[in-house]
This record gives sequence, C-alpha cells and structure tokens, in this order.
Amino acid sequence: MLALLFKNFIRSKGTKIGLVFLLVICFISLLIGQQFQQKQQNNIKEAALYQKEHIARNAAFHKDEMGLLLYYIKFSLVNATLPVNSLAIGQRDVNPSIQSVTIRGLEGQKYDSELNNPNNLLSGNIDFSFVLIYLFPLLIVAFSYNLVSEEKESGTWKIVATQSQNTFLYILKLFYIRILSLIALLTIVLFIAILFLKIPLNQSLFTFYGLGILYILFWFAISFFIVSLQKNSNFNAVILLTIWLFLIIILPAVINTYIVNKFPIPEALELTVKQRNAYHEKWDMDKKITMDKFYNHYPQFKTYPLPDKEFRWLWYYAMQQAGDDDSAKQSQELEHKLQQRNKASQFIAQFIPTLHTQLQLNEIAQSDLGNQLLFLKETKQFHEKMRLYFYPKIFDNADVSKENWSKFQVETFHDPSEISFAKAFLPLLFFNLLLIGFGWRNFNRRVI
Amino acid sequence: MKSLHTEILIAKHLKNSVFKNTAVFIITLFIGIILLYAAFSGWENYSNQNETSEKYQHESREDWLKNPDKNPHRMAHYGNFAFRKSTPLSVFEFGMEPFFGNAIFLEAHKQNTANFSEAGFSNSMLRFGEISIAMVLQILLPLLIFFLGFNAVAAEREDGTLKLLLSQGISWKQLLRGKILGIAGVIMILFVPTIIVLVLIWLLLQNFSISGDETIKILLFILFHFVYLIFFCIIAVLVSASSKTSKKALISLIGIWLVFTIILPRTTQAIGAYIFEAPSKIQFQSDIEKDILKQGDSHNPNDLHYKAIKDSLLSVYKVDSVQKLPFNYSGFIMTEGEKISSRIYNQHLEKLLQVYEKQNSFSKTVSFLNPYIAIKNVSMGLSNTDYDSYIDFQKQAEDYRYNMAQKMNGLQVKYISNKKPGPNDKPLTINKEHWADVAEFHYEPKGILEVLKSEIVSVISIILWIIMLFVLIRIAAKNLKAI
Repeated sequence: MLALLFKNFIRSKGTKIGLVFLLVICFISLLIGQQFQQKQQNNIKEAALYQKEHIARNAAFHKDEMGLLLYYIKFSLVNATLPVNSLAIGQRDVNPSIQSVTIRGLEGQKYDSELNNPNNLLSGNIDFSFVLIYLFPLLIVAFSYNLVSEEKESGTWKIVATQSQNTFLYILKLFYIRILSLIALLTIVLFIAILFLKIPLNQSLFTFYGLGILYILFWFAISFFIVSLQKNSNFNAVILLTIWLFLIIILPAVINTYIVNKFPIPEALELTVKQRNAYHEKWDMDKKITMDKFYNHYPQFKTYPLPDKEFRWLWYYAMQQAGDDDSAKQSQELEHKLQQRNKASQFIAQFIPTLHTQLQLNEIAQSDLGNQLLFLKETKQFHEKMRLYFYPKIFDNADVSKENWSKFQVETFHDPSEISFAKAFLPLLFFNLLLIGFGWRNFNRRVI
Repeated sequence: MKSLHTEILIAKHLKNSVFKNTAVFIITLFIGIILLYAAFSGWENYSNQNETSEKYQHESREDWLKNPDKNPHRMAHYGNFAFRKSTPLSVFEFGMEPFFGNAIFLEAHKQNTANFSEAGFSNSMLRFGEISIAMVLQILLPLLIFFLGFNAVAAEREDGTLKLLLSQGISWKQLLRGKILGIAGVIMILFVPTIIVLVLIWLLLQNFSISGDETIKILLFILFHFVYLIFFCIIAVLVSASSKTSKKALISLIGIWLVFTIILPRTTQAIGAYIFEAPSKIQFQSDIEKDILKQGDSHNPNDLHYKAIKDSLLSVYKVDSVQKLPFNYSGFIMTEGEKISSRIYNQHLEKLLQVYEKQNSFSKTVSFLNPYIAIKNVSMGLSNTDYDSYIDFQKQAEDYRYNMAQKMNGLQVKYISNKKPGPNDKPLTINKEHWADVAEFHYEPKGILEVLKSEIVSVISIILWIIMLFVLIRIAAKNLKAI
C-alpha cells in the first residue's frame, strides 16, 4: 500500500517539478556558500600577507622612532569562520570578519564597516538556510494542501473510505511519504554539502540537521492541522499561503520594526562624535591633565615622567588613550543596547518557529549578532594587549630593529559559545506537538 | 465613447459577492491594520533617525567651530562628519536604507567607510524584510488581488453562469473589463485611504512647506503604485479567464506571485553577485596603497616623486633648503599627497562601483520580466533610498572631505611659518576664525530628473507592461472560450 501511494505521489508531474526545482536551488545555494567560504579564506590569506609586508615596509621607513612607527602599523584579528557558515551566511556579509587596528584610539576604528553593494544586502543571500526556511515550506504546502480535499472534490474519497479500514491511518501514510521524501532531500543536500564544503561531522552539523528536520516537520504539522479542518482545496491553499506569508514575511518584519523602534541607537553617533572630541581637545589642554588620567589608568607607567618637551609620544598616546577612556560610557551604552536587541529578538523568536530556526542556524554557524558582539569584545582585548606590549617600548623609544616584527602574525578569534540542544530544539518540538495534537483531535472528532 | 454601463454592473456584482465572504473581509481589515502600523512605525523610525543625525551633525559642527587657534593640519585631522539624512518619502519606502552606513568620518589623507548601518546593529531578523507602506502596496496587495480575483471568471465557468452571461449579449471584453474594474474597486478601498494618510504624514513631516521637486516625487510615487496595482488586477482576471477551474487559476496566480516578489528578486541579484565578484575591503585598500606607493610616498624621505618636486621648487626659488622657501613646504607636500591619494582612491572606487553596477545590471534587466522589481526600483529612486542615491551621498561626502583637507593645507601653506619650531617652542597656529571658512556638510538628495534618469529602465518597463496587458486583454477577448 505504502509503495503504491509513494509511486502515485512521485509520478505526478507537479511533484517531480517541485523536487527538481528545489534540488537545483539547493545546489545553487551550495555554490554561493562555497564562493563565500573561498572569499573569506582569501581575505584571511590576503590579510596575513598584507600585514607582513605592511609592517616590514613601515619598520624600514621609521626605524628611528618607535612611536611614529606604531602610529602607522595595523594588526589584524580574524573572526574564525566555521565551514558550516557557508550554509547560513547570516550577518557575516554585513559585518567584517577581519578587524585591522592600530594601537591608537580604538573607538574610532572598531565599527569600520565592510565594503558592500547595498543591493546585494537588500535582496539577501541565497544560502542554504534561505532555501530551507523560505522554499521548503512552499513545497510542503504544495504537496499537502489538497490531501483529502482533492479526493473529495473529485469523488474518489468515497472509494478510499470504503476500501480502507482506517482512513486516518491512510491520511497518516500520505503525510509519511511526503515527509520522508523531503527529509531525504534535506539529507542528500547536506551530505553533498559535507563533501563539497568540507564540513566536519560535529555537533554543529548535527544540530543543523536536527533543526532542519524539525523545521520540515513543523510545516507538515501546520499542513496536517489545516487538512484536518477538512475544507476545500482552494481554502487550504489560501490559508496555508497566508500562514507562510505571516510566519516568513509579516511577523519577522513587524518584530524587527518593533525592536528597532524600541531600542533606537543614538549612542552610535554620540560615541563617534564624543571620541573625536575627547582625543582632540587634549591637544589644547594642559599636558598634566591628560597625563594624570593616563597614570590613573595605568599606574605601572607612572615611572615615565610628564614630558618636558612640546611633543612626546608618551603624551600623544596618552591623548589617544583618553579618547577611548572618556568615551567609554557611550561605548558601553552602545554595547548594552546591542545586547538588549539581541536578547529581545532571541526571546521573541522562541514563539515564532521561522525566526527561531533562522536565528538558531545563524547561531550554530556563528554568523549572528551575538558572535559579532563577542568579536568586538575580543577586538578590544586584542587591541589592549597590543597597546600594553608597545607602550613601554614607545616610551623608552626602543630600537625598532631589535624588535622581531615577524612574530606579529594575524591572530584568530574562535567563538567559544556552546550549542544548546534544548534551546535549539524545544520551541520547534513544542509547536510540532501542539499542531499535531490539535490536528489529531479534529480528525477524530469529525467523520472523515 | 460608449458608456461603460455593463462593465459597472459586473464590477458592482463582483464587489458585493466579495464582501459576502467573511475571510476576504478579515484579510482586508488585517492589511488595513498592517498599513497603519507601517505608516506609524515608519514615521517614528524616520523622526528618530533624522533627529539624531541632525542633532549630531549640528553638534559636531559646533565642536568644529569651537576649536581654539591651532595648526590647520590638526584641524584637518580633527575632521568633520557626514551624517546621512533621509527624505520625507523614505517614511513609506525604506529601500536600501537599513543597509546604508549612517555616518562617515571625514579627515585628511583617509577615506573612511560609512559606518553604523541599521543592518550591522540587527540580528538576522532584518533580512526577512521590513514592513513599510511600499512593501504592503508592492507585495501584500498584489497577493490580496490574486486571492480576490482567482475565481472572478473561473468560478462562473465552473458554475455554468459564464455561458448565461455571454449568451445575454455581454461581450468578453465587457466581462473582462467589468471584472478588472470590480477588483480594482475593492483594492481602492484600501489604496485611497492609504494615499490620504500618506499625503497627510508627508505634509506634516515638512510642516506644510513643500518643494516642487518633492511634490512631483510623491505624485509619481502614487501614480506608479496605482498603475502597478491595476496590472495585478488585469493579470488576475486574465489568468482566471483562461483557467479551466478556479483551483488551477489560484495555483497559477500564487506561482506568479511567488516568482515575481520572492524568487526572482533574490535569485537575479545573487546571480549578479556570484558572476561579478567584488573585491573585499582588505584587497581594495591594499591595492590602493600599492598604487599610491608606486606614485610616490610622501612619508618616505627618499621617495623619487617627492624628491623631484623638492628639487624643482629649490631651483625655481633659487634657495638651497626647503626651510628657506617663502611658503610652508610641508603644507605644499601634503597638498600634493592629498591630490595623488584621492585621485588613486577615486580611480579604484570607480572600478569597484563598476563591479557593483554589473552585479545590479541583472536585476535591472529582469525588471522587464518582473513588474515588482520595476516598481521597487522606481519607488526606491523616488524616495532616494536606492543604490544611486547612496553612492551619491558617499561622493558628496568625499568631495567635501577633499575640499576640507585641501583648504586646511592651503591655510598651512599660506599662514604657517616654514621654520620648524624648536622642541620647547609653542606649536605654530593660525586664528580660529578660519574654521568657519569650511562650510557645514549639507547633503543634497538627487532631484526628480536625475532619479528618473537613473531608473529609466524600470520606468520604460512599467510603460511596456501597461501596453502589453492592454494588448493581452484584446487578444483574450477574441480567443477565450466559454467552456
């Protein structure tokens, strides 16, 4: 029976077109993911090469003045890209994955953006997560909106009802075939992705797969529920598409607007104006004010006395430091606001399975806002480390040629966040069970 | 012209039967609520954004003027900001705005990136799209039209009433026109109040003092959206008329909608971006640096280019060292350096923008096949939230930066003594009244003619679509069958 039902399903022209179409788009998404991955890798290579050349060249020019040399040279920190990121590019296209900073004031450099064509950003990537979240549901809806109703409309349902003992079981079998074929599709695509994009078989991938299956089941659960209402095919199609529209376009957009308006970020502009003044005004102030601030922040440098000359690098870097220190409040507020946005969207997303899946996939792929915030934090620490290493050398005007410059390689940040199965799976599981439960009740209540 | 009496009768009939359906009533009501939400949240967002950017534009200007006497080169590093401001129409059409950087720091020697875009501050939620009046008009209303119209003719065919109608002397043309009119009538119940609210908000935002340019923009915005919605009414009725059953009509229409609004826009842009790969920032910047070094590095004391300049200056003024020149030598060198570096930067930027243009050319061409992309491009252009407007903003900011840096260099050449102060001397300064010589940055959005010029492909494609649909009605009226 199952084999016959499957043959009947797969033989239909619509089914074939749908599956082939989805498979083709899946391949396109893998190609796009691969291109993105390569671009990221090239960037890292480029950054390493650039840093080496750049430091060597500047060290040769400014060999007498450590302070002047450090004015120019940039050190890069890379936000490690997981291979699974090619499946969910997330925010990695908007946010730069490499930060290159001098040891001067950080606040003026930290938020430098990536070069981008805004048109690409607006239309969005066709990564695999897009195919999974947007297009799989459409196929699911297309495969199941007319189950039962079509047979009723064409009059064949009565034959089915009289010939099978349990019509409910028959309906379950219809769903079972469709679910299996889409999960098979997901499995095939992910399997190819593993080979093609060299994704390691680890917890990230399994969570990704698990989320994919639960998400597919979620849409089947919705269809199951709608079919259980036993309306006509047209009604089912309209209502399922409306649900899709709501979950994929309207609700996320409404929530996004809510969050943007609820947590506006004037701090960003305030910070950028403030840090400029905080540094530049020190040029016109008594040097003692700046230096006292500096000694306060770094008591270990009190041994370097207040400059006697008009210009000293000690004073210069103390001014730069003051730019960061005086705008620290605004910087923290900005960070806090971004955390709030991230938390609020994650909280709300739990109740909207489509959003939840997208955010979770991005979290697994380390391409979400949370990852970006951690990267910014790490950038700050990296910057501080460089500062503390070079400050004494600058203040002593250490010999540039004695420094082993080749040891300053590009460094890499690995996001240590753990994946939580419960956080990823529970919301979807809950909605699935709820919808199936209600669907079941509907079928049992009414005579099919 | 013969009267449209029959058509109006058919239209009225359709309207009545539509509102007997409670589902339609609920969906219409709901879209109405979304429209209101979109209007007010857009308004709030717009005022927040513009208030902030105006506030800090103003504040940073005051800060600039407040600077005491100092060396003009210090001022060139103190720099200025360009904060992006939106136009009133962007309340209704956000376009690419969330992906634009909102602030550019403008300083000597360096072209900074436009930072702090909304997208950078967002979780991936933004990538699902945004809710704006334009989005409702361009995406949701066409779907509603399809839901209203899929059984306009097909259901009559299924019920057998189609034969009755045609046998009573109503022609296909009249029937199609009437049905289109009916659906359009229902949609106008949403469209007209939306436009009234839109115009009111638009007037309020400008305190009722409107410019001719903005007025033409909003009128075109309304006109193009009206035409766009009528398209979909026509498509719905034509598909319904040529489908055997209403189910087939519904499925075809849903397919058309998905391809137009969801699948094509994304895929065409992604294909463009895939084929024409743009360089990354690090590559872009290191290429510029390499080219500048080839030209001459003003920081390198042994550089040939700058040595040649020095030698020629010395021989023209017949002196033996740069300290004896009658003007500030380092100011002169910086003027030269700024000229070279910004010329090279602009060359590279031009190349980068060409890559972007190529990426965009795919979706621009597809606007001939897809009215959604056409209307989107036109409405983004009219609200100055399209790609060209953003590039225009960046260019205006860069021009301002260049002029500011060169102005400061000029002041240095003219007023700063050529003798370097000793280690314990006070630094050389000029009077602070010079700071006001640099005007405040003011962004001038592109006018209507330039907008139409840059979105001409889309405008033409909309006109072609209108012509094509009218032709199709004629063809359909001749060839359609009752059964």
